[in-house]
Amino acid sequence: MVLVIILIVVLCVVSADPFWNMLRFVSDGILITVIITVSSFVLVLVLGLFGGLGRLSQNRFIYALATVYVEIVRGIPLLVQLIWWYYAFPAVIKEVGNSLGIQVLADYQANPIAMAIVGMTVCYGAYMSEIYRAGIQSIPRGQMEAARSLGMTRFQAMRHIILPQAIRVVLPPVGNEFIALLKDSSLVSVVAVTDLTRRGREYMSTHFNPIETWTMVALVYLVMTLLSARGVAWIEKRSKFER
Amino acid sequence: MNSGEPIIQIKDVHKHFGRVHALRGVSLDVRKGEVVVIIGPSGSGKSTLLRCINRLEEYDAGNIVVDGISLDNAKNINIVRQEIGMVFQSFNLFAHLTVLKNLVLTQRVVRKRSNEESERIALELLNKVGIPDKAEAFPIQLSGGQQQRVAIARALAMNPKIMLFDEPTSALDPEMIKEVLDVMLDLAKEGMTMVVVSHEMGFARAAADRMILVDEGQIVEEAVPDKFFASTNERTKLFLSKVLHM
Repeated sequence: MVLVIILIVVLCVVSADPFWNMLRFVSDGILITVIITVSSFVLVLVLGLFGGLGRLSQNRFIYALATVYVEIVRGIPLLVQLIWWYYAFPAVIKEVGNSLGIQVLADYQANPIAMAIVGMTVCYGAYMSEIYRAGIQSIPRGQMEAARSLGMTRFQAMRHIILPQAIRVVLPPVGNEFIALLKDSSLVSVVAVTDLTRRGREYMSTHFNPIETWTMVALVYLVMTLLSARGVAWIEKRSKFER
Repeated sequence: MNSGEPIIQIKDVHKHFGRVHALRGVSLDVRKGEVVVIIGPSGSGKSTLLRCINRLEEYDAGNIVVDGISLDNAKNINIVRQEIGMVFQSFNLFAHLTVLKNLVLTQRVVRKRSNEESERIALELLNKVGIPDKAEAFPIQLSGGQQQRVAIARALAMNPKIMLFDEPTSALDPEMIKEVLDVMLDLAKEGMTMVVVSHEMGFARAAADRMILVDEGQIVEEAVPDKFFASTNERTKLFLSKVLHM
């Protein structure tokens, strides 16, 4: 990771014209990429928990709901989902608004960043559900039985006994999901979000220097993913220490 | 101990696992303060019977009444379970918590006791089971015998009226079995109502008020230990000859 950062610095110093200028040009895009990634991920953690618990629910309706959600989302490419949320979803809202005569809905305008976050969250929430489910199922059945035999409710046992143990199990795959989400966030550039990738394309189309631009964009992504990987490793180490 | 009202009443209980008819009409009363030892070959239904008493398994027919509450219509099974401590073959200590917190957590969550009171009770009980120095250890750092004693202390922390033991020494090395049985013997002497599934015949002889042989989902024989060990029932004799030669 240090090598990559040195490489970027060297490139910027040695040849400030396209590299440094370009980096300044896309800096707002970097911020957007970070915002979308982090806010989606926080929502994914919450949605995934509900999805995962839903997949383990003894209530048939909740189980079916969670299962249908996971299966639909997993079967559709992320790019198509993002496009659907940005172009089709607002149109659906408008149709509904028009037919019901609700003016607020009929005037609905999609915010690209909001729709991108919704799209990323819904998609990754499904994968996260399966990670949580596997994590919870990896905890021996005896833990739940012991908790229940002591008079805890299912909810109390989940909260105090199962989830704290499951979280440690799922930490590595959850970290992987964060990095995957960061990389896949580049897809939002096709739905009018000015993230890092889109800003790169804008820069290239005015300066006509694909080699420099896309190398730099790639390096910036690389720095972010390597940084995330380090962060994940650090958190994993800390949670092991507590044990 | 032949007096005292029954605290557990099991009436004609049946349980199926798919096609397997695990319990075929079991009836049994356990009086307050009584120690009942259940033996039987593996797959005989003895553990299933025990697990039905706190509804970790739900029975298909019949009825079980614990401390005056019928498990059929127990609106809140957790109230019943608070009065029944259970000790498992595989200990099932909470792996992410220290020994002390294993004992404290359920008191706080279920009994709503203060942290100070819970810790005081926890330390008293750890002292009682002979491992006061392991309060800050994690379960994986303990031997099997120590883990099982912590599990017993954890159940006792809830002040149960009944203790169920599901093969508590079957997963232990021979030299650790005694330390667990000693704790159980003390409990029996103190008058705890105990239902124990175990093949530790030494414990049964010393502590049991009644012994029961379960086979193929039914109670084959039921007698006080002296009579039980001198049984003339062929099935009992055959089974005893096996466990006594272990």
